[in-house]
Amino acid sequence: MSTPQIEIQLIAAVVAVACAIPGVFLVLRKMALISDAISHSILPGIVLGFFLTHDLNSPWLILLAAVTGVITVVLVEFIQKTGLVKEDTAIGLVFPALFSIGVLMISRNASDVHMDVDAVLLGELAFAPFDRLLVSGMDLGPKSLWVMGIILLITLGLLWAFFKELKVSTFDAGLSAALGFSPVVLHYGLMSVSSITVVGAFDAVGAILVVALMIAPAATAYLLTHDLKKMLWLSVIFGISAAIGGYWLAHLLDASIAGSITAVLGFIFLLVYWFAPNKGIIAVLYRKRQQRIEVSLLTFLLHLNNHQEESERHINHLNEHINWQKVRSEAVVKLALENNMITVEDQLVSLTDKGKEFTDLALEYILTNKDEHIEHLKKDFFLFRG
Amino acid sequence: MSLGEYFELLFTDYTLGVITLGTAILGAVTGMLGSFAVLRKQSLLGDAISHAALPGIALAFLFTGAKDSNVLLIGALISGLLGAFWIRGMVKNTHLKADTALGLVLSLFFGLGMLLLTYIQKLPNANQAGLDKYLFGQAATLVASDVWIMVAITAVSLFILLLFWKEFKLLLFDADYTKTLGFNTRFIDTLITFFIVIAIVIGLQTVGVVLMSAMLLAPAAAARQWTNKLSVMIGLAAFFGAFSGVFGTAISATQSNLSTGPVIVLVAAFFVLISFVFSPGRGLLFREIRFQKNRRELELKKTLQFMYSIAKTHEDISHPHAVKILNNFQGFTRKTLQQMVDKKWVTLDGTMWSMTALGYEEAENLYSQT
Amino acid sequence: MEKIAVSVDDLTVAYNYKPVLWDIDLAIPEGVLMAIVGPNGAGKSTLIKAILGIIDPIAGSIGIYGKPYEDQRQKVAYVPQKGSVDWDFPTTALDVVMMGTYGSLGWIKRPGKAQKKAALEALEKVGMLPFKNRQISQLSGGQQQRIFLARALVQNAAIYFMDEPFQGVDATTEKAIVNILKELRKTGKTVIVVHHDLQTVPEYFDWVTFLNVKKIATGPVSTIFNDDNLTKTYGINYKVSLQQ
Repeated sequence: MSTPQIEIQLIAAVVAVACAIPGVFLVLRKMALISDAISHSILPGIVLGFFLTHDLNSPWLILLAAVTGVITVVLVEFIQKTGLVKEDTAIGLVFPALFSIGVLMISRNASDVHMDVDAVLLGELAFAPFDRLLVSGMDLGPKSLWVMGIILLITLGLLWAFFKELKVSTFDAGLSAALGFSPVVLHYGLMSVSSITVVGAFDAVGAILVVALMIAPAATAYLLTHDLKKMLWLSVIFGISAAIGGYWLAHLLDASIAGSITAVLGFIFLLVYWFAPNKGIIAVLYRKRQQRIEVSLLTFLLHLNNHQEESERHINHLNEHINWQKVRSEAVVKLALENNMITVEDQLVSLTDKGKEFTDLALEYILTNKDEHIEHLKKDFFLFRG
Repeated sequence: MSLGEYFELLFTDYTLGVITLGTAILGAVTGMLGSFAVLRKQSLLGDAISHAALPGIALAFLFTGAKDSNVLLIGALISGLLGAFWIRGMVKNTHLKADTALGLVLSLFFGLGMLLLTYIQKLPNANQAGLDKYLFGQAATLVASDVWIMVAITAVSLFILLLFWKEFKLLLFDADYTKTLGFNTRFIDTLITFFIVIAIVIGLQTVGVVLMSAMLLAPAAAARQWTNKLSVMIGLAAFFGAFSGVFGTAISATQSNLSTGPVIVLVAAFFVLISFVFSPGRGLLFREIRFQKNRRELELKKTLQFMYSIAKTHEDISHPHAVKILNNFQGFTRKTLQQMVDKKWVTLDGTMWSMTALGYEEAENLYSQT
Repeated sequence: MEKIAVSVDDLTVAYNYKPVLWDIDLAIPEGVLMAIVGPNGAGKSTLIKAILGIIDPIAGSIGIYGKPYEDQRQKVAYVPQKGSVDWDFPTTALDVVMMGTYGSLGWIKRPGKAQKKAALEALEKVGMLPFKNRQISQLSGGQQQRIFLARALVQNAAIYFMDEPFQGVDATTEKAIVNILKELRKTGKTVIVVHHDLQTVPEYFDWVTFLNVKKIATGPVSTIFNDDNLTKTYGINYKVSLQQ
């Protein structure tokens, strides 16, 4: 591996981590699309900043562009408040307009702005190592590594300092306000950090792929855990893996690094989406199938419990009166017999003592929603794990 | 070329005519179908679908090697639909929320698309020149056959729209109720989604993946402000869309270095801005004016009430009183007094005022209301 | 013997992972004005939605005058919760009421003069005729509820299902709606209402179903609306002096 190769991977990894952290909060706060809006609407800010500073890595440019991002959020919220259009329409109106302005600014001044419209969407990670930070003639490494490194450090510092507040306000805005953490301050704080991160990452990965770096690791982690700390760690791990893996994929295909990183992110997400132990599609579908049988079983037991008369307890009644959908009655009867919950004599079904006890407990749980009634049942039945 | 020259050329220059007709039809059909997206609160679905179409275009090129835009658009259609249904599946089967699902499909599909595009560009036999245009759109690449396809699709969707007008309206307003009346809501729903995806796909060549969603939303959001009737809203949205298309193309054709897509979007955004501020029913300006007027009316009525409280202490309600006793009353000015005279609530005689029977009655009504 | 308008047999419904209705049996006689009461999350709306086929039950069957709902749609009208729709939708009061005729029209056919006349009559009945061309967002909560009621009246059904028709309406509207409900009952219609306010049950209704995931009790208000059933339904020791 050559030095530029190592540096590119390092930059990619730092960008991925810096994006993943605010991304977790955006996903949890149901604001994932705000990242999309910001990443587009900062473009005019970046172009304007470039006119003034002529340096894509200048801190002034980053601040100016980040302000555009926060303005977007304010504008979207203003339009939402007027009630003239629905919330999501407000987002959908603001960012294409600002992005269009940015694109036109670039194409009108193509000779002055050394930016390519393609680069706006893709970034130029491959060239990042060639823009060096020189302090009095000494080479301190790639500039963008410094920029993203500093942004990452600030993000980590803020995360460490306000972890408790962020956690409370993310899960319970009302409680957070009652505890004296202003939701407004935290909201705009998060928006500002997101904006700065997006601007910093923009140079490396472009407008749309920064959205992938923010949302995908967090969404993937969210399918695996509900614990905020674990979610943050997992997102960081997914982000770094995608950054490194994506680099080598791009190397192999001789294609865009940012595109490859996103493809790897997508691949990781897809894996988790299908195979995650509890929330993955396969697990969910399996559980739904089990639940259908179990709910049917319980309905059946409850029915026996409710009706003493023989006509209601006849085994044929299962098919003709209780209208089982999608679940075969044999499967239900078999399950009940296996668990010694019923006995069948002369085609008449009766509840055993165990079946009766089980039914009572389950019913109590359903009515009161209190878990302690069914603690010992949980391991046998999916139904109560929801 | 100035705008005037452009519109003169429009009728003589074949290419220019084709392009302008194309963007006009595109604007009309996206405005029309975009109204559904806006009313269904699925504004950002269009954004996700248009981005999701990109890998479809790239894959269609990789497999067929075709430069023909129609073949590529079928690829776009397939991957766009795939994205749309995956979003639905994700929301239904996991606890990920709609915004996350939209953002994921948008960025992951697009990333894959970019990976494929850059891969294609480096292929030795790549006559790739055509694929870049799908990012920001290039109206200039429209040819007559593209426009014919747009016309055909517009005609079909207009026909379907009119045919199922009643069902569409019902579903948009009240989905559960629609079900109880015996309509197959899933069928209607799929039909709407399908046509939204088609509208997006035919717009990709002109406006591009990135800005396509604005073509769906902006005309509809603008149209909504001017009317409270669904049919008028859809008609207006089509008109705004068509106008944005024509005007955007005109501006971009007459200036150098202005891509069509962003200009069309900005023209549409301008319509939205105007509509938000100046629409008579809902616009912010008139809302503010109405608010001020109500406040003045309220002050006038307060003054009248105060005068009533004075007047009713006398047997003769029209007993004259000095104007200066009103001076202490908040909100009273010479102007409001004159307005009350105009309304014939009071008469003014020098420095004395007296209440009329009309004013007395009005004030009594105010009291009985509270 | 009196006719059974709605019969529910062994109905079980689960939302996602959580069971919400268990083994419900109900036989609602024709011509009653029935309240469904129960605490939040008791499955009141779910019961109505399951009967109307909006939600698929896991088990159980529904009969409308002894036949499946699919064959009897014309006999049933529905007033959803007011909050379930977007009131900023670009349409007028008359237009919404006209929607009540769409079911009998079927696919594609357009409403004509007869449908408009029916809609206007229904608007008249709920006292909303002067507002027929009003945009629905410009109506008050009570007026919106009246529009919904008029839409159901247009369906000219035998059985009316209403989901919290008194929620967020003014006192005048509440009285007006009650009068219409009582009138419906007088003409032999069956009315089933998800209701929140226990105090008004004896005044408005003659039949009541207590529901809390399971069916607690069902029958005439005069015999079963008592502290015992209220306590069973609402869990805590429920003491209200309801005898007036």
